[in-house]
Amino acid sequence: MKSNPKTFTKVKSYVPYHSPCDPCPPIGRKYYSTPPNLYLGFQPPNLPQFSPIEALKRGTLWPVFYDFYENPYKKRAGKEHE
Amino acid sequence: MNKTLPQEYYKQLEEIQVADFVLIELTLYLDTHPTDTQAIEQYNQFAHYSKQLKEKFESAFGPLQQGSLNRTPEFWAWKSGPWPWQV
Repeated sequence: MKSNPKTFTKVKSYVPYHSPCDPCPPIGRKYYSTPPNLYLGFQPPNLPQFSPIEALKRGTLWPVFYDFYENPYKKRAGKEHE
Repeated sequence: MNKTLPQEYYKQLEEIQVADFVLIELTLYLDTHPTDTQAIEQYNQFAHYSKQLKEKFESAFGPLQQGSLNRTPEFWAWKSGPWPWQV
């Protein structure tokens, strides 16, 4: 699905079904990352670039692909156990 | 005797890493965009720059990779010197 690269979210989540017969406690909300390259398709030429030093730090030459990972489970740990 | 490396060593090494990273990114990009002349020009620019950096580094601190020039004719420099994991 081709959508404007700026309207997608980088992390998505879902709640798996928890069966009453399931002996384990429910997992609750599970998260999965959806990086920018999924939404860009074929990379257009002349995209804006990071400076070389910045590119090495960020791990990519083009800001459009930059995808910082912070652990959704950790951040949402508080809300998880309502 | 453990001699500590000069700060210059790390600075130049980082500059080489920066240039090489840009080269890697551009290589991957150019694999799928062979006719992007602007990217090719940027690639050549950085390839040249990286070669210069490596030349400067190797003349000052010794060979960077196997197959580098051995600049001390009376001594095989590749085996000596701090290894990457010791740097």
